[in-house]
Amino acid sequence: MAGKIKSMIDSIIEQRAKDNVMLQGVIRTKLMLKGIDPKKYTHQSDDDPAIISKLEALVKDFK
Amino acid sequence: MNIVSAYSTKESVESVVQDLQEQFKGLDVKMVVYYSSSVHDPETISRKMQEAFPAATVFGCSTAGEIASGKMLKNSVTAMAFNAEAIEEVEVAVVENVQDDAGVEQAFARFEKKFGKPMLDLNPKSYVGIILVDGLSGAEERVIDKIGDLTDVTFIGGSAGDDLKFQATHVYANGKSYSNAAILALLKPATEFSFIKTQSFNALCKKLVVTKADEAKREVIEFDHQPAAAAYAEALGIPVEEAAGRFMHNPVGLVIDGEPYVRSPQQIKEGCMLFYCGVVEGMELSVLESTNIIEDTRKALDEAKAKLGSISGLINFNCILRTLELEQKQATDEYGALFADFPTIGFSTYGEQFIGHLNQTATMLVFK
Repeated sequence: MAGKIKSMIDSIIEQRAKDNVMLQGVIRTKLMLKGIDPKKYTHQSDDDPAIISKLEALVKDFK
Repeated sequence: MNIVSAYSTKESVESVVQDLQEQFKGLDVKMVVYYSSSVHDPETISRKMQEAFPAATVFGCSTAGEIASGKMLKNSVTAMAFNAEAIEEVEVAVVENVQDDAGVEQAFARFEKKFGKPMLDLNPKSYVGIILVDGLSGAEERVIDKIGDLTDVTFIGGSAGDDLKFQATHVYANGKSYSNAAILALLKPATEFSFIKTQSFNALCKKLVVTKADEAKREVIEFDHQPAAAAYAEALGIPVEEAAGRFMHNPVGLVIDGEPYVRSPQQIKEGCMLFYCGVVEGMELSVLESTNIIEDTRKALDEAKAKLGSISGLINFNCILRTLELEQKQATDEYGALFADFPTIGFSTYGEQFIGHLNQTATMLVFK
């Protein structure tokens, strides 16, 4: 399977920042400091279970 | 003036506190932030500072050097007092065990009760947080990451120091001293505010990807599938034996939108590299090269002044490694002078916080 990481990242940014461009940038920075670079993932990226589990943990707090 | 800064180099805690009280005379003090050299007993300074300003919210930490308007100091206490015209509301919470995520959640529950809104609903343009954390806890990224997960309000701050003894650092609130703890203060300033994050480095073209790390120990075992120290030395084109001598001049950084988030190497251990802040597997780090702290700071301050129109108060969290470099270059007076024109306090930190945990950076909270 592929593309789940990109979808999760997009969903986190969309839910948390909505249309606020400044907040979108801050959330991308927070993700990068956690070792997840949003630019690296596309809809074709492999579903790396380690990254998915990191993102699942984040989703709980980020909402 | 609604924000007043002061410092005291007197020897006893009693004289220091009295000195500061006199300098704040005439101001109806609502909040006091202070930074104390480790020459002063932690319990005593915290108790006496709270007793001196009984109606105010008083908090601070121990340092590795202090900053006041126009000066870099040693063995002193520097303090900033705010009245209600400067700070509408403030609440302080102590996270007593920084290794436990529940501590931040409990602190936030306290803030939500005080401000009557969920932390996620607070407008980051109206509220700001200050974090002061035990600089020897090794837990700063854990705390600041958790904070960032739970709120959009910016928390800015520094890791407490102990004048380079590396024995014990302390944070102060409620008239008490705490270790392995963090002070979180949530402020609703009455005026506009802004942030400065400045570091004096350019990114070189050389990049190193963390391929194996012990994240809990802040240790990189491999860059690009090679032993970390060897890969770092190769990137600089130097023998591995010379690598440690380049740490201060050539740290590494996660570059985001052209802005480095500096990770400073601490030592080489059996071919691995230990850092002063977190490094995560998969991170692509750029090798950095130092530039001029004075010029870069002046530029950052000018930009902040242009953005806000004026500065009524500034709190500076300045990395101890920057202070050491300034001392080496005999430039501490010049650095202090950059802050001569407005009320300033700050300290030399064991780490800086702004969105994440950083090294070799100055993070500043600036009030209009």
